[in-house]
Amino acid sequence: MELMKKSVSGRVPWLVSAGAASLLAALLRRWQLASAFEPSGLATPGAQSSVILLCVLVMSGAWFILLAQYQPLSKRPWAAGQAHRWDLVFLDVGDPVYPILVVSASFLALACVPVLLPVGLEQWKLYQERVAAELQPPSNNGMLTIATGVGALLSALGLLQMGRDGLRPGKRGRGGFSAALPGVAGCVWMMESFRAHAANPVQWDYAPQLLAIVCGMMLYMDFAGMSAGASRPRRLLWLAGMTAVLSAVAMATTGSELAALAAAGGPVVSPQLGDLLLLLSQTLAAAAVLWRLPPNLENPPKLNSSPHPQPSGEASIQEETTDE
Amino acid sequence: MENWESELEENTQGGQPPEQAPEQPAPPTGAQARRDASAGRELYLNVRVLVTMMGLFVLLFTFVARVIVVSGPSMQNTLFGGDLILVWSVGYAPKQGDVVVLTQESYQEDSIVKRVIATEGQRVDVDYAANTVSVDGMVLKEDYIKEQMFLPSWGEGVNHVVVPEGCIFVMGDNRNESADSRYPAIGIVDTRCVIGRGVAVLFPAHHWKGL
Repeated sequence: MELMKKSVSGRVPWLVSAGAASLLAALLRRWQLASAFEPSGLATPGAQSSVILLCVLVMSGAWFILLAQYQPLSKRPWAAGQAHRWDLVFLDVGDPVYPILVVSASFLALACVPVLLPVGLEQWKLYQERVAAELQPPSNNGMLTIATGVGALLSALGLLQMGRDGLRPGKRGRGGFSAALPGVAGCVWMMESFRAHAANPVQWDYAPQLLAIVCGMMLYMDFAGMSAGASRPRRLLWLAGMTAVLSAVAMATTGSELAALAAAGGPVVSPQLGDLLLLLSQTLAAAAVLWRLPPNLENPPKLNSSPHPQPSGEASIQEETTDE
Repeated sequence: MENWESELEENTQGGQPPEQAPEQPAPPTGAQARRDASAGRELYLNVRVLVTMMGLFVLLFTFVARVIVVSGPSMQNTLFGGDLILVWSVGYAPKQGDVVVLTQESYQEDSIVKRVIATEGQRVDVDYAANTVSVDGMVLKEDYIKEQMFLPSWGEGVNHVVVPEGCIFVMGDNRNESADSRYPAIGIVDTRCVIGRGVAVLFPAHHWKGL
């Protein structure tokens, strides 16, 4: 009972802070969209909503640094040369929330594939037609959109494996590597996002999304690092918080773009929908980290307390690999 | 539960010896596991460095400077199609004579490269008959233009104007093949449309120069 109380208290500050900051940032972004831009789309210098939103983002970052700094950790394993034990930190302790969040994130990433691949293929076809007709080709040949779609598929597989590892950890140092898949796939998404906005002089239109993608990439890479002897649990928590907040801002932007597209009679199956789904996916992954990591850092899970029976061979692997 | 490691030691060493399932592969020895982990760690660290570098590059390109490829002949003979130029964004305020990258969505969604002829408050007069551009009554000495300019196909366009506050007047160095501030769809450009200043040609090597 005492352990349960500790676990609950460990995650509450993170979840409440990230949730409140995300909601506030998204609302401020909506206000900014309504008040801080001229009809031409250019930003009004010194607009109140822009200044407040920037302050909220900076303060969120600072607050998450404080939370991470004061996050209770059990004895640091790397100090004793036992860094690999950190891969147990996402082990199931009997609650289904973590796997539900991660598997939901996986399905959202998977839902991007039928959105982005047809859009990318269409762009590729158009580009080839223009080249064949010896006309000025469009600046986008669709390759990065297609690559982002393929990356979304890899992300979905990696996230699915992460959910499974949360229930039943695999061989040491390998289970967490699946988190590197969405991390690497994020690179392609980031390049596509940058390409799509490279000519946009209004940084507010795309900078939060790029920052959200970078935070998400680093979140996944640090997640994978927990299983690779390169664990940085405090930074992982900070990245999870910032991924949630920045993704909320970016989702407010893509949501309004999608609404405008739909109102203008444009196709809803668009790169913006792909962005929205991927942002939502990484937000759920960040929420899963914030749900599971803080209490487990404070009160590490017991292997024997896992409610899921493990095959004896696998248990022996875990024993081998954690006993150094 | 006070010490995670001691907890794990207890769990992993103090329990009953596990039974080997016949179909399960034999667990790795400690040395094997260490080798696996070492290789995995190296792989992970390399991937993390790559991912981090990519993230940093994109953030650098977003907020500080970026690299763009020139397309079209409008800035000849200063820039040629296919040239890769470095564009400085952070803290830049347009000045007369600078080569700038800007986006004027009323013309096209892609960015364009032009030279700043006049800034806010200055009067610009383009005289096709005399082949001159004057700013505040002073004829500009333009050794960068490609050739003598002729009246464009769209007519006089915007050629006698005082640049409003917060705006710039831009022209291409290849005056006869440049859609610029003279062209009504582009016109006077808001400085907020400027992405940055062209600093140098990076590629190809034989075009390398500062701008």
